[in-house]
Amino acid sequence: MSKEAEVRQKALKPKMTFSDFWTKYSTLIIMVIMLIVFGALEPKAFVSTNNLIKIIEQSSITILLACGEFFGILLAGIDLSVGSVMALSGVVSAKLLGAGWGVVPTLLVGVIGFGALVGAINGGLINITGLHPFIITLGTQAIFRGLTVILAQSRPVPAVAFARTFGGKLFGVIPTPIFIALLTAAFLVFFTTKSKAGRNLYAIGGNKKAAWFAGIHVKKHFILAFVISGICASLAGMVNISRLASAEPNAGTGYETFAIASAIIGGTSFFGGIGKIPRVVLGAIIIGIINNGINMVGLSAYYQQIAMGALIIIAVTLDRFFGTSKKSEV
Amino acid sequence: MQNLVEMRNVTKKFPGVVALKDVNFDIRPGEVHVLLGENGAGKSTLMKILSGAYTPTSGEVIIGGETYDKLTPALSSKLGISIIYQELSVINQLSIQENIFLGKLEEKSVLGIPVVNKAEMLKKTKEYINDIGLDYAPETPVSALRISEKQMVEIAKAVAFNANVIIMDEPTSSLTDEEVNNLFDIIKKLKEEGKGIVYISHKLKEIMQIGDRVSVLKDGAYVGTHDIKDVTIDDLVTMMVGRELENKYQVQKADHQHGGEVVLEVKNLTRKDEYIKDINFVVKKGEILGFSGLVASGRSETMEAIYGAVPIKSGEIILNGKTLKINNTYEALKEGIALVTENRRETGFFHNFSIKENISVAKRLKKAKMSGMWGLIDNKDDVRVAKEQIDAMNVKCASMDQLIVELSGGNQQKVILGKWMASGCKLIIFDEPTKGIDVGTKAEIYKLMRALCDEGIGVIVVSSEMPELLAVCDRILVYYEGKINGEYDIEDATEEKLAYSATVVAE
Repeated sequence: MSKEAEVRQKALKPKMTFSDFWTKYSTLIIMVIMLIVFGALEPKAFVSTNNLIKIIEQSSITILLACGEFFGILLAGIDLSVGSVMALSGVVSAKLLGAGWGVVPTLLVGVIGFGALVGAINGGLINITGLHPFIITLGTQAIFRGLTVILAQSRPVPAVAFARTFGGKLFGVIPTPIFIALLTAAFLVFFTTKSKAGRNLYAIGGNKKAAWFAGIHVKKHFILAFVISGICASLAGMVNISRLASAEPNAGTGYETFAIASAIIGGTSFFGGIGKIPRVVLGAIIIGIINNGINMVGLSAYYQQIAMGALIIIAVTLDRFFGTSKKSEV
Repeated sequence: MQNLVEMRNVTKKFPGVVALKDVNFDIRPGEVHVLLGENGAGKSTLMKILSGAYTPTSGEVIIGGETYDKLTPALSSKLGISIIYQELSVINQLSIQENIFLGKLEEKSVLGIPVVNKAEMLKKTKEYINDIGLDYAPETPVSALRISEKQMVEIAKAVAFNANVIIMDEPTSSLTDEEVNNLFDIIKKLKEEGKGIVYISHKLKEIMQIGDRVSVLKDGAYVGTHDIKDVTIDDLVTMMVGRELENKYQVQKADHQHGGEVVLEVKNLTRKDEYIKDINFVVKKGEILGFSGLVASGRSETMEAIYGAVPIKSGEIILNGKTLKINNTYEALKEGIALVTENRRETGFFHNFSIKENISVAKRLKKAKMSGMWGLIDNKDDVRVAKEQIDAMNVKCASMDQLIVELSGGNQQKVILGKWMASGCKLIIFDEPTKGIDVGTKAEIYKLMRALCDEGIGVIVVSSEMPELLAVCDRILVYYEGKINGEYDIEDATEEKLAYSATVVAE
């Protein structure tokens, strides 16, 4: 390229506008505002290293569920079954442990393998029926929940071995749930930005028909996305039973709401094809901050719901006003 | 007589770009005023200002003697300005009648409560669609209509809104010749009623036929306005492009190597849905094979089947001597087949991807194992390939990281072509490759086709524009109702013959 052309290109490149800035950092900005608000209201109890680590630990289940949910939404779909999968795989793992399985085989079969299987069922049903993921996962949500209760005979199933392995702290500092959640998220960051399959998922989410005509095997990728979602939900189940030392059949009821909320507060587009894992993680932590902060301030837990609901609407509204989605008109 | 609309010294700036500079445009009652310009010349921006979608940076719009600094879509519509977009905006699930009265249902009062007056709407709808020659019951769902008929519904809608000015953006891009004639009859009728028509089109012959005056824009600047009877097609091209194109499409014909090596052979191809049955043809090395026929006559439907996008029931596809087993588009891509689809927005590009990623998507898949799912992206290679294709295709963009939606239609098409060039194909199928694309870009695309053909790559062109086929192809097949109904070598192909085969079944 000639020097002149280079200069011209630079001139053409517009300066970073507020809209660009907002699109990039909105989730972070919201998080900082939340921290400031609760920090001002409750400077002692809220602002301490212990409490901040606690927030992330409490958020680790939401982070895992939200990371999985992200893939459903990325394909312009949704996964309503994540809460049920979390409970079902928790009970399955606890049963395996009870049957004398070791921690590692249970992790591989009961958590990762089973999560993948359940996700493949979701994805397969979507492919075979051609129905919207909302309908399929609404159905499997109920089916998986029913299976969980039957399998557990509506009683908590003890899972002491998991609690001993994953319930503690790594190096005596970082709670293991945080480690599991962030490791999973880090892997998914790599997957979504560097792998071909990850980029193909964005392509399908952006334009399913164009993806098909570009030679992308759409159905296989749908299965892949729901397999990832299943594994993430299953890992959330593992973290949950490790913290409680038992698998509750009604664990994770309604948690899909938190997962969807995290993804949306994290800027994931409901129309598909747009979103980033780190922002989804921040979205999940924001929900953790709200829950923890409202608790610290001394308000009843019902205010958590109001705050989360309001934040979903505010975050998406701000994106509409300031985000780059406005730009596409030009 | 007073002008219906006068736009004076309209300027519109976007961040980093001046889309319009001091443009003047007026519309008289009872005329067809053609707006002409290459892609990105500012036609759409000008019309969006008139329809209130954009606010001009400076300048004024005078409608019915009143001066406005800016308009809103609601105000513009109230002032009698109606726009019919290239991508039609009828609602498929609703009936013709509901579409026509969308947003302004007739009311009557029952016991003081306003309710929808269906009888009145039915009566009016019948009038409107009779006037326009649409032979359907008003309750017919619009989804049952052909594209040309949907367009007629849009025109009826404009008439029902008492529009004085009707803007038509590329109205004939999806129409067959017969449908175009029908549209022209309607336009003539509207003229007689004193309505002003703004007609945006790239088809110069058509413009000469239907236009009264023509205004030309180039790179956002106003070039001039002339009476159609005072200009020739060559004048228009010169004004639009700003340079003399000696031959409109400088395409070199191959030295017809008939009997040359066969690149692609299709034998007894039948789709599972039997849209096409028993299709047979060959593509030879060194020739460009054209497909003509009406929209939905089976041309594009055959190409989808070859590309594995729809299931086939029987038949063979043989590429370079190898019989292919293709069950999906991924397998077609792997075998080296590329399909440039008819509808860029719907099936061509990814709006959420940058230019770079739109180019690299097919290349990546081709190198990946496990149905294109296994492997990491090679960003260095992506950047290199994107740069190469942007240069080769002469894509006008600020950077390869720009979103593709920020480009004009012609440049988007070049990016899509770049995607396929980067994938390294052996057979490339162009379906309506120059739809809505300006003359300059068209010529570039035609040159590319010939170059590919010379390299020994099989080239198929599907087009509704017969002059296009006649200009670039060496042999043309014509579809009629799902079958090949005629074959012409370029020497004896004429528009009349193609049109005949497209509409009359061969003995």
